[in-house]
Amino acid sequence: MRNRVREQRTQRGLSQAELAAALGVSRQTVISIESGRYLPSLPLAFTIARFFDLTVDKMFDPDDEETGA
Amino acid sequence: MMTFLPLRLRKPAMYSLAGLLFAGAWLAHGGRLWWVSVPALIGTVAIAARLYRLGGTDTDEGARAGSRADERQQLVSMRSRALACNLAAVTSFIGLTAAIALRAPWWWPFLVTLLITGYGYLFGLGSFGVAEEGTPDDADTESPTQFPVGS
Repeated sequence: MRNRVREQRTQRGLSQAELAAALGVSRQTVISIESGRYLPSLPLAFTIARFFDLTVDKMFDPDDEETGA
Repeated sequence: MMTFLPLRLRKPAMYSLAGLLFAGAWLAHGGRLWWVSVPALIGTVAIAARLYRLGGTDTDEGARAGSRADERQQLVSMRSRALACNLAAVTSFIGLTAAIALRAPWWWPFLVTLLITGYGYLFGLGSFGVAEEGTPDDADTESPTQFPVGS
């Protein structure tokens, strides 16, 4: 699962700690999500997408292998 | 439990309580080994202080020690506890079978631990939603909802 968290965060000039505070999670969790090591829960995925004014499917994309595309 | 305490104090308080009980048990034991309660108490204070200090750090361990773990940290903690429970169950089974084979009198603590972990697992399955009650989607057709005809 790919995501655009790092891309969106850097576009807005936010640090990982600032994003973590805004989302109500730890900085380590933001790092894990950005690196793809952790898939957030559905509520957190919605929180992230809403924070960046995007939809969940724009924020999180399945890998090409998974979609078979 | 302990919700009246600030988050950072909860884990240290819980360990302090456990340590006090442990030290008290040695004191109640009395005899020549009453003094074990003193290092137990010192160890308890040291662990509680370390947990409190750790709870202030910006790490995964700090978040858990400070009772402010987010969903990922809680998931990691839950997986670790599940692993610990699996190890306890396997160890208990090995201990029980070894004690039976050796005709040792210390078989029963292993049996108790094995029963607790086993029933704990079954209790967890019941509590966390396996075999949910409810009707399948098809059952809805048996008593269809009547919608008013729109004008």
